[in-house]
Amino acid sequence: MDIDDILREVDPTVSGVPNETSDLQSLTRLWVAERSAPELLEWPSGGLFERINDRIKAQIEKIEILTGDMDPKTNFALIVIQTELERYKFLVRSYLRARIAKIDKHTLHYLSSEELRNRLSETELAYATRHQALLHNHYLSSFLSSFPTQLQNLNDTAGNVSMIDSPDLDAAVFIRMLRDRQVTGQGTDADITLNASNGEILILRWSSAKSIVEDGDAELV
Amino acid sequence: MALPLPPGLVPSEVAFLCEMEHVTIVPRQRLESIELLSGATPSLRPPRREDIPLWLALLLKKQRRANILPPPWLHVDSLRDLIHHETVTDPTGWSLPPPPPVRADGRGNARRLNSGGPDATVLSPPFLPSCTSSAPAGALPYHWFEFAEMLLAHASDDIPAASDVRSLLRDLQEVRAAKMRTSIAGLESGVDGVMSLLGVGAMELSESRGFVTGVVEGVRKLGASAEASRREEEEERGGADDDEPSDDDMGI
Repeated sequence: MDIDDILREVDPTVSGVPNETSDLQSLTRLWVAERSAPELLEWPSGGLFERINDRIKAQIEKIEILTGDMDPKTNFALIVIQTELERYKFLVRSYLRARIAKIDKHTLHYLSSEELRNRLSETELAYATRHQALLHNHYLSSFLSSFPTQLQNLNDTAGNVSMIDSPDLDAAVFIRMLRDRQVTGQGTDADITLNASNGEILILRWSSAKSIVEDGDAELV
Repeated sequence: MALPLPPGLVPSEVAFLCEMEHVTIVPRQRLESIELLSGATPSLRPPRREDIPLWLALLLKKQRRANILPPPWLHVDSLRDLIHHETVTDPTGWSLPPPPPVRADGRGNARRLNSGGPDATVLSPPFLPSCTSSAPAGALPYHWFEFAEMLLAHASDDIPAASDVRSLLRDLQEVRAAKMRTSIAGLESGVDGVMSLLGVGAMELSESRGFVTGVVEGVRKLGASAEASRREEEEERGGADDDEPSDDDMGI
């Protein structure tokens, strides 16, 4: 640490959030949001996951090097590093699993339009397409083939009833405000608008909350 | 099943989040800075106080390498004030959460530490310093319950008057749980679009999440047809008048 670092630390005009912390905050926020939201959310852009994966890889290599010399002094540091790595990996794993669970539940829905497909990452898209193809083939060989041809579709929307199951976008969610702003929510008896302040927790429908969360003015909890 | 858990964080996940809260420790041994994925830890030199994540603090505490300094809101006086506030001053709402962290600049003005630029990440619990020794007394942070439970379980010898703290926390939790139930009973009179739970804690939210969302969902399904006809009526009554304000709100 030299004098510049010290000056930067006490300078109030520089936001003092280091890169690692803001990445961890972003990952945590994504994880909590994915666990709480009724539908699949956008895959993060801006290389967040590449960055995180690279760091995890580098950390694993470091552990491999450190385990080589079993000096009791570095031993404790090794335990700390491994504990933290496991915590980080849990976050990543739980986030990806929450996403796969949603994709599994409404595969056809997320494959049905370009806009929805764009929410999936490349690997998720490959997984969803292959999974759906396998499933369809299996259905075909086991029972669908004995149906009349016009009834063999799995994505029929005839008669105003869609066969494609989609998530309930009006489900209630909890959000925490990150900035002061007005919030409008649709309710059964009345639609109301209220001023919400930073840190306030609100319950409202996901359909009303979505735009606020996407603006970054609130987060799911 | 890729993830056999219900939507919304379950208590064990909330506890996991809470372990990311920063807490102030007094080290008892030297420990060099460790490069972690979430940033390097401060190098520990007794008796200089440092803020580190709770999971690390608990690890150091278990190995008797450090003592944890409980945050000011976990002291007996602060908890008594909070209970007084919850029961006498404001028997309907929760006590207010701690104010957003501010920092004074050279000209003597206080600015919010966390307002951030347009692309800066806005920090929120558990990344705000709400459980360190610089946190304000008399305001419960978002992760108050889990944090207090964990400290009492693993570092009760570091908390002054731990048994009093424990019983006060129990009282506080009961008062606040009763408020949660009353706020649900308030739904009987009608469900508005937005319900505010200012000052609620993470664990309180997690334990009543299933119930609250169940009630709100149930009411929504029961009132779906009434809601649809209300919307139709509003549209008929003067589509232009009614639509304008909601369009404005979307633009904000």
